[in-house]
Amino acid sequence: MTILECKNVSKNFGALAAVQAVSFTLNRGEILGMIGPNGAGKTTLFNCIVGIHPPSNGRVILDGTDIAGFKPYTICRMGLAKTSQIMEPFRTMSVFENVLIGALHGGQMSMKEARTETDRVIGFVGLTQHSHKPSAAISVPARRRLELARALATGAKVLLLDENMAGLNPFEIDEALELLRKIRDSGKSIVVVEHIMRAVMGISDRLIVLNYGAKIAEGTPEVVANNEDVIEAYLGRKAS
Amino acid sequence: MDTVLIQAIINGLLLGGVYAAYSAGFSLIFGVMGVVNLAHGELIMLGAFTSYWLFVWFNMDPYITIPFSMAALFVFGYIIQKYIINRVIELPHIMSYILTFGIHLMVANTALQLWTHDFRTITTSYSGANAAFWGLNIPYARLITFFLALVIIGALWFFMSRTETGRAIRATSMDKEVARIMGVNIREIYAITFGIGAAISGLAGTLISPFVIIFPEMGLNYTIIAFCVVVLGGMGYMPGALWGGVILGLAQSLTAAYLSAGISVATTFLILFFMLIFRPAGIVGKGLVA
Amino acid sequence: MHQISTAKTFWLFFIPACIAVALIPLFISSEYTLRVSALVIFWIGMSGCWNIMSGYTGYIDFGPVVYFGIGSYTTAICMTRFGALFFPSAILSGVVSALIALPIGIPTLRLRGAYFAIATFAFAETMKQVALEFDRTFGVKFFEGSHGITLPISGHDNMFFFYCVFAVTLAIVLVHYAIEHSKFGYGLKAIHEAEASAEIAGVNTTGVKLRAYVTSAFFLGILGGIEAYWITYITPADAFSVQKTVQMVIMTLLGGMGTFLGPIVGASFFTLLSEVLGTKFVEYYLIMVGAVIIGIILVLPSGIIGTLKARKGIRFI
Repeated sequence: MTILECKNVSKNFGALAAVQAVSFTLNRGEILGMIGPNGAGKTTLFNCIVGIHPPSNGRVILDGTDIAGFKPYTICRMGLAKTSQIMEPFRTMSVFENVLIGALHGGQMSMKEARTETDRVIGFVGLTQHSHKPSAAISVPARRRLELARALATGAKVLLLDENMAGLNPFEIDEALELLRKIRDSGKSIVVVEHIMRAVMGISDRLIVLNYGAKIAEGTPEVVANNEDVIEAYLGRKAS
Repeated sequence: MDTVLIQAIINGLLLGGVYAAYSAGFSLIFGVMGVVNLAHGELIMLGAFTSYWLFVWFNMDPYITIPFSMAALFVFGYIIQKYIINRVIELPHIMSYILTFGIHLMVANTALQLWTHDFRTITTSYSGANAAFWGLNIPYARLITFFLALVIIGALWFFMSRTETGRAIRATSMDKEVARIMGVNIREIYAITFGIGAAISGLAGTLISPFVIIFPEMGLNYTIIAFCVVVLGGMGYMPGALWGGVILGLAQSLTAAYLSAGISVATTFLILFFMLIFRPAGIVGKGLVA
Repeated sequence: MHQISTAKTFWLFFIPACIAVALIPLFISSEYTLRVSALVIFWIGMSGCWNIMSGYTGYIDFGPVVYFGIGSYTTAICMTRFGALFFPSAILSGVVSALIALPIGIPTLRLRGAYFAIATFAFAETMKQVALEFDRTFGVKFFEGSHGITLPISGHDNMFFFYCVFAVTLAIVLVHYAIEHSKFGYGLKAIHEAEASAEIAGVNTTGVKLRAYVTSAFFLGILGGIEAYWITYITPADAFSVQKTVQMVIMTLLGGMGTFLGPIVGASFFTLLSEVLGTKFVEYYLIMVGAVIIGIILVLPSGIIGTLKARKGIRFI
């Protein structure tokens, strides 16, 4: 059951083809990993899906509706949320208020409903003890969870996570993976962009690999790990 | 061709050159530091007054006063940046505009206290003289100013691309952090940049002193024109000051010739407003967009 | 962070405070003091308008006076040319300003930082020029250009105008209260902190900004109408004077941008300071204003209330 589909999505910035005719599907309840070297176009693709830039070409279909060209807030309200690689919390506001904004505006809830939902989501991700601290004053792993919480509070069905585990130590990564499984089990579908191989290989049901803006491989983690093009993209060609 | 039209075009070009001259400093400061210097007009005013007083006390021809006004304004600008503006340089930009606005108020009104509202002019032997031919009138003073304006912009470009300090300034404007790592003293560079911007503005003040009315509150109008020129030409893009100046000069001169003087002011703002909405990167599209 | 007051304690304090202020005219005998009180309230309203738009969103508007001027002229024209009464004219002034703010806001609010500031300033100056040159250019008698428009003498005393500005400022203060804990308010603050994040979290940034811009314009229009009637003579230079913008900005800055008490504290302090300085140091007034601005930015960039909030973690409301 496809919940998100990209069909031949391209994005050009002037002469630079950042994303070239990428197609993929995300099924309901699936965790899809997206990997590729730096600069492969993963973040740009996410930005196109979420409405930050409209794609130059191609279609983005969320639960049956073509959302290409819609504004980011509309897409969010339709059920698609993203976390950012470079986190931008609302710094002077507390953790609670950060998440509240997701519930109020993304989730379109009344103040009362939003507050209840915010408490629930904060509990779900395990940030309750930080709830009233200023968001600039919490640790990196906590801030990553805050990004997640805000996205969840919008009521999103599909989450796009852009390097949500960057900056975490191995123990924290395991905790983060636990949380991801919990989120998936609660009915969400997730696309995960990560550079930490054991994390993304371990958690993903399927993977796609991007390089220089194009999709070069797709399949289960085992298949992808043994794919020659993928190995070459990361390690370069074998000197013969 | 219609003499009125040619005269209007020539007036526009000459005006444009002048505009470009005194907007270059503003563009430099914004391009390098992101500071919108709302006290810009006051720098021009001080340059004009420096020339005026030297003329009145020592009978110096305004063009001879150039080194003095440039030096004085360089020092003034350097000090202001180093001890005042540098303190807010890490804060959101809005703080710097409001700060420079405060400086504008203080400088303009202190000048008003010292020198009163009186309008002053510098009248030299060549003040009213025009080159007159083909039914056209080209005032010598404006012509000299126009050429010197081109020289200034050329010299500035040369300085920025060929000298060590100039390169440090450009590096800083491109990437502050990298420049810092490379050993550039950012605050010092900012102070020097502001000093240079001030010196150019002071120079512009001297260049216009033979043919404008000099009075303490004259600054604000020049600041406004500098905004327009720089937005038209592209913020932070130096050669854009020339484009912007010429376009604005022509627009004003043509509307003044064919419509009315009052409309030409309204036109300036309308152009500014529409440029910002539709093409904030300037006519040539190389300006920085916030 | 701890909150000093909950909703209940807020009203417990606010309602008596409002009543106390409302009773001021009955207890003051000096016309001068009454006028100054009215002026303080007027400026609380003005800086409040700027705070609603720029204080909360961080989009620095350098042209708010344009809506004030439009309001002044609407009231003046309605009363002189169409013989309308004051109250309907003042309300209409607000509506006209708001209606103009909408199509102007849409393109302008797409700009950021310095560009937004310059564009709003440019628009204000353009309208000033329009008021000055329109009649002469089109051969009509409408704005009266630099001659200005003289309104019918009101025959009302300072007390009447006190209550007029009190009513409008009260509304503006209540809007602030509504902002502080509402969805709209959170939207504004989110835009200020991280507009891109706000967009992907579902905030309709254009809609929220526009709402603040138009609301601010509406109240500025009414205040402009009130002032026109109060001083009975308006000219483009005064009605659209950048001086007014400067004052709105300084007062809010001094009190604290994006706070509930900011405009109240800032406007009160600055107006009273100006009265004192203005009478004692007439010539140096603007120099002092410049010095105050520089001082605030260097020492208290978050304003009085903002600094209290940040350093002591106190929230007043």
